[in-house]
Amino acid sequence: MQGLYVHIPFCVSKCFYCDFYSVSDKLELMDKYLGALLSEADNYRGMDFTTLYLGGGTPSILGAERLEKMIIGLRRRFGFNYLQEATIEVNPESAGVDLLATAFAMGIRRISIGAQSLNEAELKKSGRAHNRRQVMEAMDAALSSGFRNISADIIVGLPGQTVQSLGDTITILIAAGVNHISAYCLSVEDGTAFYRCPPPDLPDEDEQAGLFQCIAGVLRKHGFVHYEISNFARPGSECLHNLNYWRGGEYLGLGPAAASHINGKRFSNAASLDLYLADPSSAVEQEERLEGTRKAGEEAMLRLRLIQEGLDMEEMTGKYGLTAVEKLEARLHELVERRMLSRDGHIFHLRPECVLTSNSVFVDVIV
Amino acid sequence: MRDNCYLCSGYPAFNVFDMKNIRNFSIIAHIDHGKSTLADRILEITGLVRKTSMDQMLDSMDLERERGITIKAKSVRIPYKAADGKEYVLNLIDTPGHVDFNYEVSRSLKACEGAVLLVDATQGVEAQTIANANLAFDAGLKIIPVINKIDLPNAMLDDCSLQLYTMLGLGIEDILHVSAKDGRGVAELLEAIVARIPPPSGSASDPLKCLIFDSFFDTYRGVTPHLRVLSGRIAPGDRIMLKSTEKTFEVEEVGYFSLGLARSELLRAGEVGYAVALIRNAGEIHVGDTIVSADHPEVTAIPGFRMSQPMVYCGIYPIITSDYAKLGAALEKFKLNDSSVVFEKENSAALGYGYRMGFLGMLHMEIALERLRREYEQDIIATMPSVIYRVICLNGEVLMLDNPSKFPPEGQIDHIEEPIIRTRIIVPSDYVGPCMELSDAKRGVLVGIEHPDDRRAILVYDLPLADMITDFYDRLKSVSRGYASMDYEMNGYRAADLVKVDILVNNGPVDALSYIAPREGAATRGRALIHKLSKTIPKHLFKIPLQAAIGSQIIAREDIFPRRKDVLAKCYGGDITRKRKLLEKQKEGKKKMKMVGFVEVPQEAFLSLMKIED
Repeated sequence: MQGLYVHIPFCVSKCFYCDFYSVSDKLELMDKYLGALLSEADNYRGMDFTTLYLGGGTPSILGAERLEKMIIGLRRRFGFNYLQEATIEVNPESAGVDLLATAFAMGIRRISIGAQSLNEAELKKSGRAHNRRQVMEAMDAALSSGFRNISADIIVGLPGQTVQSLGDTITILIAAGVNHISAYCLSVEDGTAFYRCPPPDLPDEDEQAGLFQCIAGVLRKHGFVHYEISNFARPGSECLHNLNYWRGGEYLGLGPAAASHINGKRFSNAASLDLYLADPSSAVEQEERLEGTRKAGEEAMLRLRLIQEGLDMEEMTGKYGLTAVEKLEARLHELVERRMLSRDGHIFHLRPECVLTSNSVFVDVIV
Repeated sequence: MRDNCYLCSGYPAFNVFDMKNIRNFSIIAHIDHGKSTLADRILEITGLVRKTSMDQMLDSMDLERERGITIKAKSVRIPYKAADGKEYVLNLIDTPGHVDFNYEVSRSLKACEGAVLLVDATQGVEAQTIANANLAFDAGLKIIPVINKIDLPNAMLDDCSLQLYTMLGLGIEDILHVSAKDGRGVAELLEAIVARIPPPSGSASDPLKCLIFDSFFDTYRGVTPHLRVLSGRIAPGDRIMLKSTEKTFEVEEVGYFSLGLARSELLRAGEVGYAVALIRNAGEIHVGDTIVSADHPEVTAIPGFRMSQPMVYCGIYPIITSDYAKLGAALEKFKLNDSSVVFEKENSAALGYGYRMGFLGMLHMEIALERLRREYEQDIIATMPSVIYRVICLNGEVLMLDNPSKFPPEGQIDHIEEPIIRTRIIVPSDYVGPCMELSDAKRGVLVGIEHPDDRRAILVYDLPLADMITDFYDRLKSVSRGYASMDYEMNGYRAADLVKVDILVNNGPVDALSYIAPREGAATRGRALIHKLSKTIPKHLFKIPLQAAIGSQIIAREDIFPRRKDVLAKCYGGDITRKRKLLEKQKEGKKKMKMVGFVEVPQEAFLSLMKIED
């Protein structure tokens, strides 16, 4: 299982909460960027991938033609014979039939729509470039282009958000046919517009927790499984690419700010389009290789995010050896005693009531 | 230390010096009046050090430089060729510049014949100027009044001169003007030191008598006292005796202080230097003690010696309980360096095993704890400082208690007495009102008001030491816009209507948080403290009730509501390393907190009482 992530660092505008790497003032560089991307891919020529994820930024901003060119370029360099899943993130304002049909034709079978909300006021206050109608149109376009795996991103804790407005967003999306929802709690990150100028009606942490619990209930009622801290899916529709992350799997990330995990080493590219364009091969910025105990701690932290699947310590012992997991196992048992984890044989699970306070578990799991 | 002694090559010719060419002096001043800068300039002008970018040679501890104060007294021997063409030896004995170390200052002054009294031209005479000048008068020193910082545009030379005259009775015609910063007037000051300060008296042929005015610890050579030889001579091979303990040691090496240690053949009456005698235990050497020859144990001790007496106590506990042994070892080592601290084992129901530590004052406490954390790398929690209460029980027993949690039940107490200080506050007339209001609020009793000139007043108050060590000084500075200065001395005990307030966290009493307070206003303060604690202790995953109680009566309660959200929402792809680091940071934060039952309590919580506004 090995994933390929391709970062498309362009957006029509910067959303007020967003701290992902993207630029909105250099859209004319898109063609040049594709060239750079493929030249970075050259460094990894011949690798095989089971999942592909086009993320951003806004991949749909590329338009049908560039998207096609890019995927053809990737196909020339990499093996996709065992591909199990290919996802493209789209933003409603740029998810036209043209683009979606091309994506489908190129073998992409899953789309993730950056809806965030269906409430006009919430969208406006968050600096989103689309409105509710455009989300619905994008849904229709996706369905008519043949997509059956549709995910929507929504944000919990937008300015002015209420249980009512959030509930509406969820039920309408479900009715429109999504089978996967990523529900992220908003956090005000350094460097964002919300950080510089926090809206007065931003729900606080307690209110966010209330909102989250409410939608978790709605989703459960509609047959969605809460399979990861921020992710819900109808059984069988979980995102394989992301599951690979949470299982400590390996992946290659292309593009500025993209991260990779290859042969046990985590590294990421500098978050700079200019640097990347100047020399896509020399953009690697941070490298980290954890050994034994610490690596096991990291994987445990990731795997515990998988609420249903949990952390299988027998598997971990096989992977890291007894000495590396000994202390981890002791800490897990302590957390069971503190009623933050539950244990089923050698499998540990985050207790459902601890999902929103899972950091206090994870700080004890990592070394 | 031996390796550092780049100057200890052979035996320099200083020893042939006639005693009448020696001048032993200190520089005394209020804090920030430029003492260390002047010392630097003197070293530079006399050529002992080249002009260097490294400021303040005498303050070698990092902490001293950071805080701009001198903690440990140090001294240096300066060769000086005066205008009369003769070679002199000037021994500059540095003194600590804080009221906590008054006793140490007085001992340092005992080693001198004269003192340079430094006053900041922009600030004038302040409380510690007076306190230090009085110490110098008491020691019978010749005082050279010096106004510093004359380079500043707002220097008030006439005002300062007048203050020195009216407040301290110093002759205006004797006052020198210097700028320690640019060196102006320092040459004249050196001449005045030679001309005005008398040479030491005492005979080198009499039996040995030395004053210990400081000491330092060296891993290889043990505790090395700093000495002033008052009479006789001391040389390697001599057997010496400490008067306070009557213990004897053999001298291995003597020398004086240049920029490092400079070994010499002997030290004679009038000289200042050090003696290595393989004294292993810092507890053996007490500042103010007298060294005599073991052959002449009948020589009398220098009067005024006392063991340093801690005024302020607090509990210190390892954050991780199993670090208790490590902390003990660190304290043993620390004590070798700073013999004025005391410590003993203590056991807290809430915090586990730790130590009760005593300090000369609040500044001394802050510095010592900071050094334990930084230099000795101890992760510790310090509890609220306490003074020593005298508890008179109904059965007539008198208990001296430095820890509120050790107080007997109220029913067994006849009355409680608390230590009182007499403080002298110098304040511009405009701020007399607010300063008096503050002192009254802190249960002060006005002893007198003096008006040394038409712009300033001296308020003399008797204040409970307990109030002094909380936030009195900060508040005084704030109500006087920084203009007030103060100094204090101990002034016995006074009965007071005090009660013990217990703090309960998560329904369990935390002995380390209990405190003694005046009964009047105890409830208000309790509420304020509980409120402060509710803001200091982080939210947990469960509700934490906080209560304050006097005996069984609850006087305040607040709850910390459970934390409902503490989650990394987006965690995939490249975020993993970054997110793990965020968790690591969170983990680091937890490590700085002490587990009390199931509650993580940060250091600040234990000092909350000091931070509450009345």
